[in-house]
Amino acid sequence: MRSLLHALILGLLGAGIVHIVVLFLVPEFSERDAWSRLAMASDLYKMTRLDAEAGGAPVVKSVDPLFYAAACRFDLSDGLVRIRAPGDVPFWSASVYDRSGHNIYSFNDHNANGEKLDAVVLTPAQMIDVRRDLPEDLQGAIFVEAPIEEGIFVVRAFVPDESWKPIVSRFLEQSACELQDY
Amino acid sequence: MLKNAILTLLSLAIAIGLGGYSVWYALNAQDGVGAIRIGQWTAFPEVGTLNADPYSKARVAREGVLALGQAEGLAFVAERDDAGEPLKRECAYTIEGGYPTARFWTLYAADQSLGVIDTGKPRQSALQSYEVLRRPDNSVVISVGSRPSPGNWLLTGGSGKMYFVLTFYDTPIASSTGLSDVTLPRILKAGCNA
Repeated sequence: MRSLLHALILGLLGAGIVHIVVLFLVPEFSERDAWSRLAMASDLYKMTRLDAEAGGAPVVKSVDPLFYAAACRFDLSDGLVRIRAPGDVPFWSASVYDRSGHNIYSFNDHNANGEKLDAVVLTPAQMIDVRRDLPEDLQGAIFVEAPIEEGIFVVRAFVPDESWKPIVSRFLEQSACELQDY
Repeated sequence: MLKNAILTLLSLAIAIGLGGYSVWYALNAQDGVGAIRIGQWTAFPEVGTLNADPYSKARVAREGVLALGQAEGLAFVAERDDAGEPLKRECAYTIEGGYPTARFWTLYAADQSLGVIDTGKPRQSALQSYEVLRRPDNSVVISVGSRPSPGNWLLTGGSGKMYFVLTFYDTPIASSTGLSDVTLPRILKAGCNA
């Protein structure tokens, strides 16, 4: 009887340890996180629609039904990445996420120059290089300094009603996510 | 000898089974650490940031969520009405009251996975603040149900559990200092189609 009690207590203690270990391992080993889902859908530096409107099931779920969204994956060890989108939409917002889906930085159209989406994501080391000699065409861009290598850039745009759908779709489809030379 | 082996197995089974199950249970529960409750509305301002607790980090990884950033907006989820009853898709509700400062907000009826519910009709089960009718004191009354109603109507249908997701975009309340004296609309049950 004593040894049964002993085994039960040991089991409960073990359960506590397993709980903590599993909890911390889930983010490491998840194959369903946003990065993995996007990797299955498209390549690096390619804007991919996240909402279901583009056909098929949504890549990353839980997007507001009145919003369209697009995302691209990037790797800063290849160089800076520049994200641009032309056109006017009622509201857009953008976020930079790290490899495991943590929001590093976010901004919206009121923060941007002329409400145009033009952003450069770079590491602090690359920022020092770029500051030394800022290229002419990067003058108006928003610089997002992120201490990461792999990451995800997401653009969300508001669709107030049916009539805005084609315009917002075009905004996201014409958005570009490319490696930038400097 | 055999007794020892069985006892060891028992401890291991308890440790692995209970440990695994408790993580699974904790990750599936809607409530969690770091939640902010205002009336029946719950928000997780820290979810998806580096400051988040291990539970929301695991949830984010498991569900593949890309949470809204602070400059983007803040989403509130309600799963009960003001009387404390769980929200049901076969019931009609009235959502009434004022809304905190934001550039605009959206409201939609969601299923368990927090995706918008599929009513099978062309009208979406979502409303936004630019299209709603307001009362003289700037408050908004929204009727929720499967039958059309005058004023602001949020279409729902089907049966089962339902959630309301209210998202404020470009809002000062997303930074935690603004959350202290925010009031959100109340959810009142109007009747059920049993």
